[in-house]
Amino acid sequence: MPLSVSLSIEGDTTVIELAGELDASTAPDFHQTIEKAAGHGTATVEIRMAGVGYMASAGLRSLVFAQQKVAGHVTVKVVGAIEPVARTIRTAGLDRSIVLTDG
Amino acid sequence: MADNRRRGAFLAEPAADELQVPACLGSLAAIAAFVQAVAGRAGLDQGSAYRLRLAVDELATNIVTHGYRGGDGRITVRGRAGAGWARIVVEDSAPPFDPVAGRLPPATDEPPERRRIGGLGIHLALTSVDEFSYVRRDGRNISTLTVKAEGTDPCPPRP
Repeated sequence: MPLSVSLSIEGDTTVIELAGELDASTAPDFHQTIEKAAGHGTATVEIRMAGVGYMASAGLRSLVFAQQKVAGHVTVKVVGAIEPVARTIRTAGLDRSIVLTDG
Repeated sequence: MADNRRRGAFLAEPAADELQVPACLGSLAAIAAFVQAVAGRAGLDQGSAYRLRLAVDELATNIVTHGYRGGDGRITVRGRAGAGWARIVVEDSAPPFDPVAGRLPPATDEPPERRRIGGLGIHLALTSVDEFSYVRRDGRNISTLTVKAEGTDPCPPRP
């Protein structure tokens, strides 16, 4: 179950693009990228998840980690999550602190 | 293989199958593929198949990380596919753990940085399936998870 993770900067936004499956075995790759992204100091961290076909609670932990790593004024966005992935994020109540958009 | 013989001998029965894997995170992919095959045989829709996979994945992850605590162990997964339903039985010989008793609903009132995220996987597992049961028998944890195809549950979860 591979996960591909890419990191780029677009203006004042750090973009993490994920594709594949996000579970307990692949989440560590995402974690490492979050560490790098948090160091960029942009106003927004945008996590593009349209290519993620599956996400377990390990992915939720990564999103919480992202929220914790960035400074208080930084917005963390999750863009394009498919419905079951978005539902998992909402089940955990993370949509209160992370902006979920269709992209 | 025993499973093939079993299928050959009882063609009228719903297909049954079994997978045994070492209890490590590297086994999650094989477990997922197994569950998806059972869901496929049951003719589950995409959403129901996703729910079953999520539940079994969370349970297996919990067995690896908390049950065996990263030590050696095995996980046995059995599947049974009926018309519009799929059932997965997950067994391990880690110390007793009843997922229902260990369930921890998300503390959505807490900000995420203060929230305990542990236990959320089990909560997701239990809320993803239509039926769940657990027994401890002969030194083994045995969890049974059943998902029905959308539209066949007389009491579907509220959206």
